[in-house]
Amino acid sequence: MALALPLYVSEVWLRVFEYAMVGAVAAIGLTLLSGHCGQLSLGTPFFMLVGGTAYAALAADAEAGSDLVGIGLPPVIAIVGAVVVSSLAGLAFAPVAGRVSGIYLAVATLSLVFLGLYLGQRFTEFTGGAATGRPAPPFTIFGFSLTTREPELTVLGVPFGAQERMWYLFLILVIGGIFLALGAVRSRPGRSWRAVRDNPASAAAMGVNVARARATAFAVSAGYAGLAGVMMVLWFGLLKADENEFQGSWSIAAAISLLAIVIIGGLGSVWGAVLGAAFVFGLPLALRLLVPSVPLLASITEGSGGFTPSVITAFAYGSLIVLVVIFEPGGLAAIGRRITARFGR
Amino acid sequence: MKPTSDGTTAAESTYVPELHVRNVTVRFGGLAALTDVSFTVKPGTIHALIGPNGAGKSTCFNVVSGLYPVDEGDVRFGPSDLMSTAPHQRVSLGIGRAFQNTALSGHVTVLDNVMLGRHALTRGGFLLAGLRSPRMRKEQQLHLDRVVEICEFLGLGDHLQRPVGQLSYGDQKRVDVARALATEPKLLMLDEPAAGMNDAETSVMAQLISDIRSSLGISVLLVEHDMSLVMSIADHVTVLDFGRGIADGTPSQIRTSPEVIRAYLGGGEGPAVLQEELS
Ligand SMILES: Nc1ncnc2c1ncn2[C@@H]1O[C@H](COP(=O)(O)OP(=O)(O)O)[C@@H](O)[C@H]1O
Ligand SMILES: [Mg+2]
Repeated sequence: MALALPLYVSEVWLRVFEYAMVGAVAAIGLTLLSGHCGQLSLGTPFFMLVGGTAYAALAADAEAGSDLVGIGLPPVIAIVGAVVVSSLAGLAFAPVAGRVSGIYLAVATLSLVFLGLYLGQRFTEFTGGAATGRPAPPFTIFGFSLTTREPELTVLGVPFGAQERMWYLFLILVIGGIFLALGAVRSRPGRSWRAVRDNPASAAAMGVNVARARATAFAVSAGYAGLAGVMMVLWFGLLKADENEFQGSWSIAAAISLLAIVIIGGLGSVWGAVLGAAFVFGLPLALRLLVPSVPLLASITEGSGGFTPSVITAFAYGSLIVLVVIFEPGGLAAIGRRITARFGR
Repeated sequence: MKPTSDGTTAAESTYVPELHVRNVTVRFGGLAALTDVSFTVKPGTIHALIGPNGAGKSTCFNVVSGLYPVDEGDVRFGPSDLMSTAPHQRVSLGIGRAFQNTALSGHVTVLDNVMLGRHALTRGGFLLAGLRSPRMRKEQQLHLDRVVEICEFLGLGDHLQRPVGQLSYGDQKRVDVARALATEPKLLMLDEPAAGMNDAETSVMAQLISDIRSSLGISVLLVEHDMSLVMSIADHVTVLDFGRGIADGTPSQIRTSPEVIRAYLGGGEGPAVLQEELS
């Protein structure tokens, strides 16, 4: 069904799904780190920025007369490079993460968002700065672009433009991310993470190198964030540093949205992270498309008491978090398990 | 319980090292939890560590597994100096332990909890696991079989897929013992394995412990309050009181030791069973 979607759905709707997939990839990394290894992090947007920037710098061609750094690597290699660079950034932060935990770790990781804001505006030769940004290098494989409409392609009478192709690229990345995460969670690395989360002393007594397990979780989660950063840049067609710490793709708001995703989805659940992302990242965009065509929604936003679609969704997922915390701490994942238990088999 | 025969253990040899605890002192702030404590666990013996509450028995365990720093003295396991061995590396030397307050993951299944014991015996990180490396899966299956065998030996066969938090306290203690056993230890340390069990369960546990020793040939270091259990299965007993070693010998020597009688009867804290046992 997902495979054939571009044949039925318009470009604007494909973009909604694509944006949700960006959130899903970042949230999978976060749910591994926070849900399985027990390390609360608000630093995900920083690693997204690192990944997005690394991709732009690695994949762009160096241009005469431009200050922008461009290495000119093939985009596939640039994506892998971006994931590696952001994982290494996560690894570099791991010693800090090994020393503090809980709310202190959340605060420590939040400082990364401020670091990202500073670095993003300071090193404009990499990020393009906050004013103009820099164009995203198109994702091409064997001369076939997956993010623009070159060369032209028509499938079953539907022209395959940029969004149709990006849909498939993102779908592959998300499925790959889910696949890796589930495999890890269900075997040795996941087991050691949960042991470290539940009781570090007994984990060590069972042979788990606690510091290393934590560092690995951080690196893995940063790698996912980095990939999500690349997707974000491809989705916007642009890499741009944030103007302030409160709004933007790499901001505190983004950090909180990602945390909301994993809580709504059910901490530790990979599929929950995907569902949560559909809510938190997908819903605002979907509402914006729906508002003009649904009379009730249109009337709410019309009078403009500040009720823009994004304000509505902010309320929606705010109350969703409260409901989840009160009624179903297992999140959407637990609700899903109950439903399949009742109707399944 | 059979020894592993499928080559899943790293150290296949049957060599069991001696544990030497020498002049160990551990302080917490002003309080000395252990003062100049020494004892030796001979290969293949069941060695009991007894004493009133707060005597320092669990602290001894935490010293041997590296969870508490030692202020003075040292601990050796055969040729290895444990003082220079990181806690997580001691498992590979053959030191496996269960905790007084079971330290399990409550939401996680019995099987998964016990599989953690195989951590040091297996390989593979995020990428290999994520890509479902066939080698890793095969290895995992081999270890899973052994873990099931260990769980069944401990009478947990019916609970394999249940979250540990749903089990009775006695069953949780058994899971903790199974997990320690899953590390294929040369020295198995059990901290009050029969706590919270009724008489019937306690005698089953006693039987299990002597079975483990006789079939695997490993040493067992045992902390236990139930004196009838200790006196029936231990080869050797070390008695601690207020962090000091006050007696060391065979169960019959301990039974008649004046210091022990004074510690237990005088302190008034000792288990009544020992008083019966001593009389
Ligand atoms: N982590 C710790 N911090 C402070 N004091 C401790 C700690 N662990 C043990 N103690 C103290 O050391 C003494 C011995 O405790 P413990 O070894 O648990 O006794 P036992 O297991 O023989 O009942 C007690 O007085 C206890 O309060
Ligand atoms: Mg104790």
